[in-house]
Amino acid sequence: MTTTTHGSFVIEGRYDATPQRVFAAWSDPVAKRAWFVEGDGWEIQSYEIDFREGGTEKSRFRPLKGEEIFGEKTIFGNETVFNEIVPNERIIFTYSMDRNGVRFSISLASAEFSAAGSGTRMVFTEHGAWFDGGDGPQMREAGWRELFDKLDQHLSKGAVA
Amino acid sequence: MRRSTTHATFVIERAYPHAPAKVFAAFADLQSKTKWFGGPEEWQKASEHTLDFRVGGKESLSGGPSDGPVHTYNATYWDIVENERIVSAYEMHLDKTRISVSLATMEFKPNGSGTTFVLTEQGVFLDGYDDTGERERGTRELLNQLEVYLDQ
Repeated sequence: MTTTTHGSFVIEGRYDATPQRVFAAWSDPVAKRAWFVEGDGWEIQSYEIDFREGGTEKSRFRPLKGEEIFGEKTIFGNETVFNEIVPNERIIFTYSMDRNGVRFSISLASAEFSAAGSGTRMVFTEHGAWFDGGDGPQMREAGWRELFDKLDQHLSKGAVA
Repeated sequence: MRRSTTHATFVIERAYPHAPAKVFAAFADLQSKTKWFGGPEEWQKASEHTLDFRVGGKESLSGGPSDGPVHTYNATYWDIVENERIVSAYEMHLDKTRISVSLATMEFKPNGSGTTFVLTEQGVFLDGYDDTGERERGTRELLNQLEVYLDQ
């Protein structure tokens, strides 16, 4: 029998950038790639994003130490569908993760942006179903927190988007 | 407009005296699903029920009371393990307004000669529309209709 584990988590962050800039870091393909896809220790095999309601985002990436960690050459795949986009305010999306072609989680996530002083408060909520061999909600939350640190660094560079 | 979200999760478990393959088929086959999956009998259909049951495939159905509004259900299938598990994401609209996005996991577990069915819905309700209590009640009503269909 297959097993399924459900979980949810919320991450709240504050950024020293306007909601327009934080939103743009999600909507602009170059900016999104910079914090969401690129990273030390990863080979990016493909990345594409069509940021509109009903549009998709797809990436394939290989951890350079995959053989060491997983005992075999490992390629991860991520597929996202954007359910709702409210510019500068809210993004709701559904996404799957797979490892070597085997799907191991499906998630529903929302990112909400609101002005807080001269900056932005972002509330990210994820609900997910994790299958056999999946990372589970705790590791997933840790992964997003690392990504949001990269988002913060990206915004701190003062990039327009 | 003022934007808001409400997140909620509910779980419904049912025991059916039918094999997992039969319960699963009631979700996988359009002819079967259309017999139990829908609004109250007095609702009028606004579009035909369509179902493309495969990973990446879509399902849609819309209808409502004669004086409105039109309730539209649009689902995408994300994971299918035959006779064991279905995961879909679905949006509900009232007329043109999106009121929720949900992740629904349906698990079919053998229990003697029958099935333990577990539905887990994790969702976000938008801008004050709907509420989780109402969605859970509606889902329980659908599962009652499923039970009647299976027992026929």
